[in-house]
Amino acid sequence: MKRQIEGSQAVAEAVRLCRPQVIAAYPITPQTHIVERLAQMVADGDLVAEYVSTESELAAASVVLGAVAAGARAYTASASQGLLLMTEVLFNIAGLRLPVVMTCANRAVGAPINIFNDQQDSLSLRDAGWIQLYVESNQEAVDTLIQAYRIAEACELPVMVCMDGFYLTHTVESVDLPDQAQVDAYLPPMHFARTLDPAAPSTLGGGSEPDNYLEYRQAHHRALERALVEIETAAMSFADLFGRAHGALLDSYCTEDAERILVTVGSAMGAVRDVVDALRARGERVGALRLRCLRPFPTAALVQALQGARRVAVLEKAISVGLGGIIVTEVRAALHHAGVRVPVDGFVGGLGGRDLTPDSIAAVFAASAAAGAAPIDCCFVDAAEDPPSPPPASPVKEPLHGPS
Amino acid sequence: MPVMRQVRFHGRGGQGAVSAAALLSMAAFEDGFESQAFPKFGSERRGAPVEAYVRISDAPIRSHNQVYTPDAVVILDATLLRAEPVLQGLREGGLALINADAAPALRTEPTGCRWLAVPADRISVAQLGRPFPNTALLGALAAATGWVDLPALETVVRRQLGGKGEHVVSANLALLRQGFELGQDRRAT
Repeated sequence: MKRQIEGSQAVAEAVRLCRPQVIAAYPITPQTHIVERLAQMVADGDLVAEYVSTESELAAASVVLGAVAAGARAYTASASQGLLLMTEVLFNIAGLRLPVVMTCANRAVGAPINIFNDQQDSLSLRDAGWIQLYVESNQEAVDTLIQAYRIAEACELPVMVCMDGFYLTHTVESVDLPDQAQVDAYLPPMHFARTLDPAAPSTLGGGSEPDNYLEYRQAHHRALERALVEIETAAMSFADLFGRAHGALLDSYCTEDAERILVTVGSAMGAVRDVVDALRARGERVGALRLRCLRPFPTAALVQALQGARRVAVLEKAISVGLGGIIVTEVRAALHHAGVRVPVDGFVGGLGGRDLTPDSIAAVFAASAAAGAAPIDCCFVDAAEDPPSPPPASPVKEPLHGPS
Repeated sequence: MPVMRQVRFHGRGGQGAVSAAALLSMAAFEDGFESQAFPKFGSERRGAPVEAYVRISDAPIRSHNQVYTPDAVVILDATLLRAEPVLQGLREGGLALINADAAPALRTEPTGCRWLAVPADRISVAQLGRPFPNTALLGALAAATGWVDLPALETVVRRQLGGKGEHVVSANLALLRQGFELGQDRRAT
């Protein structure tokens, strides 16, 4: 049923439809509304689950680790510093190959402290061994959450569904919420073959020595590579059953005949589509490609989608400080490895909630078009000419209160 | 060509600017439009300037950007006129709806904006005993623009405020209607 609903509330509804048995979370802006709503559902009896309000994100991640190891379907959500505080456990969840599903309400990472959106938090965890899916709209956030449980449980890998904080979590827009019977038909009850069972005691997470640790890591890597197929299958069967698709590994827009393609991630794609339409109306052959799946990295699909372009630009909301854009580096590597010689320009923007306006996006297209044979390495979109001093040096205008 | 209307709300934390934007988008949805509402929080504390945005369209809305060229601005606190660029980007002939007894006399008037002053705090205090200006201003906005219907606003106010008790619902419905009437009466201002 279509409802005009806040993104966080819609995600909470999607979680409820997936029938989780354990939810553990610690609130942090901009994730709060999701877990607040879930806690309310449990308190009201609308969702039969154990809701564990933990003392930290580290504990929340530990609770879902244990719950899934014991065979329960579980959910958590976090963002920013909270996600980073989970880090140790997130690596363990992945290494133990536990099908946890979580939402990251993407937010900048301090310092300086900033509650607004970028994707530094989840991108910093790209090597944690989780599947990472990034969504463009609240409809896609709902649909992807449901797909995530199916992917996680089929692959025995955890899935992080990343949605832009505020731009999606706090936006009220129309979302078609599936009914319970539809979701039940798509997502069978959780069956986890390696469930801990007191009747048949076993160790989960035992030590590993130099003679087999490397093979465990290799197996983990191969499992993520194999997950590419499951992610595509989950999207296809979702489309069959629910009549909606948002792409699978990638989501392309006007790329077939495009000479120049802009690659991006997340909710910025909406404005990018509008800009592509405007530029095409002026006769420019441009297109856009959204990376929906960042881990496993969809190398083959990406090369296929970009190999016809004369120029590629990557616009991303995160940075590997000291290197440059994260995603642009991976796109360049994928194309280079495939022998596709197309210049790839790097743009970092939208950090800490700076709005990537249609004008900024049009300027990115223009800068890429005007660049010479040597690609733009790392351009900071809309950055001021004179950067500010490091945070401690700026004068304090008013006492800092407010959320962390 | 799809038609897109954009509204920007300026308020202070606690005045209900964010709720007003959500209610407006829900009313537009009730009327069969595509709509989107979202807040821009500053430091999330009572009294701090807050912005909220609404888009209403007859076609799907893809952008999640802030609103830079509104067709209407709704100013919940007149002191924001001195503190924030509340009229920035307002479209020529656009509506500036303000919670006040009279339109302000500004030294730098933007090009051809249409002022509508509604004493929303005053009528809210009379109804609720406290200044919650948002529903009266929504009624006035509906009357002055015709972008949403009064019945649609009434439906969403009943649904969204239902949990707060019958007194709050009926007072807010009265404020919606009072705002709507004032919006009709003062259209020419």
